[in-house]
Amino acid sequence: MNGAPSRGVQLLGSLVVALAIVAVAIAIVTAKFGSTSAAEREVQEERLEQREEILEERLEMLERDR
Amino acid sequence: MEQFIEDVTRGNVTEVKVILASVVVGLAIYQVLLMVVGYGKLRVRLLAPGSASWTHRAIGDTIVVLTVIVAVMCLSYYGFEDGGTHAIVACVLLGVLTVKVAVVRIGGRVSRLLPLLGISLLMLFTVTWFTSAGDFLGVGG
Repeated sequence: MNGAPSRGVQLLGSLVVALAIVAVAIAIVTAKFGSTSAAEREVQEERLEQREEILEERLEMLERDR
Repeated sequence: MEQFIEDVTRGNVTEVKVILASVVVGLAIYQVLLMVVGYGKLRVRLLAPGSASWTHRAIGDTIVVLTVIVAVMCLSYYGFEDGGTHAIVACVLLGVLTVKVAVVRIGGRVSRLLPLLGISLLMLFTVTWFTSAGDFLGVGG
């Protein structure tokens, strides 16, 4: 094969392509997930639960007033 | 084991599994392209068939390790019962993967089976991905 790179360069190049595929796959999937981590989701769920509790308390108070 | 996986992934078990599975599918597609060059079906000026085959072996080892990690995560965290189609296809995949590794080691006449096993593996990886990661990402069934 005239003008072809050496075997070492070919191996390195093909492995670099594999690394690029790995990087692109990770980038695409994480972009689909968004930036919300599990810890942030837990905080959001806790806030929701607190809001629900407050709403329930208010409803109970309203029923008592009636 | 379940707690270990939860700790290692910091609670993001599904996300880590989806990322690893997606990486495996990406590499599996590249593997087929490498062997198309490796068998001389496609001539690329920058990559000789021997180099393509060597890279195919190296990436194949990586895929096996990643696949085993994903399978262990999947089985120990989610179990087998709720897997449905995904669990069945994944089991077939692991079987075909084992056969392919064995055929590579044995060599000789059985090596003729390698292209068929390779294509089958790509299809199985794709179906397994679509029935779990693809479903999670909203692109599969």
